[in-house]
Amino acid sequence: MRANFYIQRLVQLIIVVFCVTFGCSLLLQAIPVSPAEILLPVGSPEEREALTKQIGLDRGPIGYYVKWLGEFVRGDFGDIYYSGGTEAVSSRLAVAFPRSLWLMIYTQIVALSVAIPLGIWSAYRVGRRADKIISNFLFTLSSVPGFAIALLLVLLIGVRLQWLPTLDYQPYSAGVWEHFKHMIMPVLSLSLGLIASYARLLRADMIATLREDYITMAASKGLTDRRILWRHAFRPSSLTLFTSAALNMGGLIGGAIVIETIFATYGVGFEIFAAISGRQYIALQSIVALISIFYVLFNVAIDIAAGYVDPRTRNRRINA
Amino acid sequence: MPKKFTIPTYLAFGWLTLAGLMAIFGSFLPVDSYQTIHGDFLDAPPLTGGHLFGVDSNGYDIFSGIINGARLSLFVAIFTVGIGGFIGSFLGVTGAYFRGRYDSVVSTGFNVVLSVPNLVLALALVAVLATNVDVNEAVAPWRRLTTLMISLTIVIIPILGRIARAATLAWSGREFVTAARSMGMRDRHIIWRHIVPNVLPALIAVGFLAVGVVIIAEASLSLLGVGIPDGASWGGMIARGRNDLEYNPHALYFPIVALALTVICTNHVGDVMRGRLDRREARL
Repeated sequence: MRANFYIQRLVQLIIVVFCVTFGCSLLLQAIPVSPAEILLPVGSPEEREALTKQIGLDRGPIGYYVKWLGEFVRGDFGDIYYSGGTEAVSSRLAVAFPRSLWLMIYTQIVALSVAIPLGIWSAYRVGRRADKIISNFLFTLSSVPGFAIALLLVLLIGVRLQWLPTLDYQPYSAGVWEHFKHMIMPVLSLSLGLIASYARLLRADMIATLREDYITMAASKGLTDRRILWRHAFRPSSLTLFTSAALNMGGLIGGAIVIETIFATYGVGFEIFAAISGRQYIALQSIVALISIFYVLFNVAIDIAAGYVDPRTRNRRINA
Repeated sequence: MPKKFTIPTYLAFGWLTLAGLMAIFGSFLPVDSYQTIHGDFLDAPPLTGGHLFGVDSNGYDIFSGIINGARLSLFVAIFTVGIGGFIGSFLGVTGAYFRGRYDSVVSTGFNVVLSVPNLVLALALVAVLATNVDVNEAVAPWRRLTTLMISLTIVIIPILGRIARAATLAWSGREFVTAARSMGMRDRHIIWRHIVPNVLPALIAVGFLAVGVVIIAEASLSLLGVGIPDGASWGGMIARGRNDLEYNPHALYFPIVALALTVICTNHVGDVMRGRLDRREARL
């Protein structure tokens, strides 16, 4: 039963990864003009032909995919073509990926550390005024798009108050405060929406948990409410929350395109945008494939982890 | 008995109706065209010179822009959710009903599309479909609009399709479906009479949420410069207002508020409808 579950997940994973990467490579073939013409706008016909050969576009969709995949698994994600020469996509990603990773990690930390107390508090006071205020506020917040929050933050904190810089990214080596100064606003714009959805998830599960008999039992033993909430009710209620937080990881790293563009953080999301506006379709193909693989792997890892922690969930996502 | 709607729900319906009316009758209202340039009132703040919401730094009246923008923002959202929802639920319902190899192909397809973050997918599709040979040659607006809608439709298909599939799986195991099948009713009729009416409410509830997703996606694409150009939608207005947010922030406030209000309302309505469904299920 258990081995079967893992094999099923693994087969599914492999199929999805193959389909996604093949779909990405088909995108390149779907362009109405020859890619070599776009990549070398001023090149001679011979140069273009050489490039077509080099990329493998003369081999048909399958041949091209096989060649691309062969290079992809060896860490060669193709090149970005400038008028003067080329740059490897992998070297750009080596710069961009850590930035996105930090952004994502901070966002999750901020979102979870605000959402957990809010969710617990509103579940504890369910139906009371505090719960109603928190719930309605969170609902409204979850509907406001991240870029709107970002633009308003730029306007208020960056331009009016001039407290924080509105553009650029600084690594740790430039100083810890420098690093965080450039991260605060992007992280806030990404995490406000997440806070809302995390707190809502936790609240729903907590309300269900607080009705369980062992909570009544704990209360009748004379334990304090705080202890019951944190020690007895929070842990069993947090599974959905942490699953969903982990699932967001993959989406966040690619989904921060708009935020990374607004704040010029130049992470992976921005690289996608740059690849599109610079019409670097091979780079686009590799980055999208990379993000999707990351996302799918995370999904499976979470499924398996959730299956370990709570056996009831083991078959849930296969059918649904 | 279903409980009466609360005041916030009425307000949400009210705003959505208002936005819908703006979208339909916007061009007949006695306001200036959103493309008229008011050169004397550049950067005018709200409530000056007969400009209720002020004028942006290009001289465009923001009130006209909001009214006009409703049309494209809502049209794109409703159209893509409608078409995408139709295709998605067709695939999802038939997949879950017939099961077998067809179902695994459908659900793998959904998983593949869902494994690309939706903005990344829309962006990649728009970029590829709207490519011109010459970089400097602008893509015709209608072509941008069509590619935008096709891309967003592809994004929506698996989102709603998966909901339809899950709901159908739950319903097609019920006794009345087995009974209908044992009486020799045709599959087409079973799906149409017994499955669809039960799955539809859940789909409509999620459809409202999807409208919000599409409105935000359209605005994000506009912000990235590949959406609807020339401030013809709310997203387009935000993209244009972003350029001089330092001197003219109200050009940004109004479209953001209009957009956020619409998304809040569609989410709220979707939420309320989903809540009612749960109650209906609980009573069974």
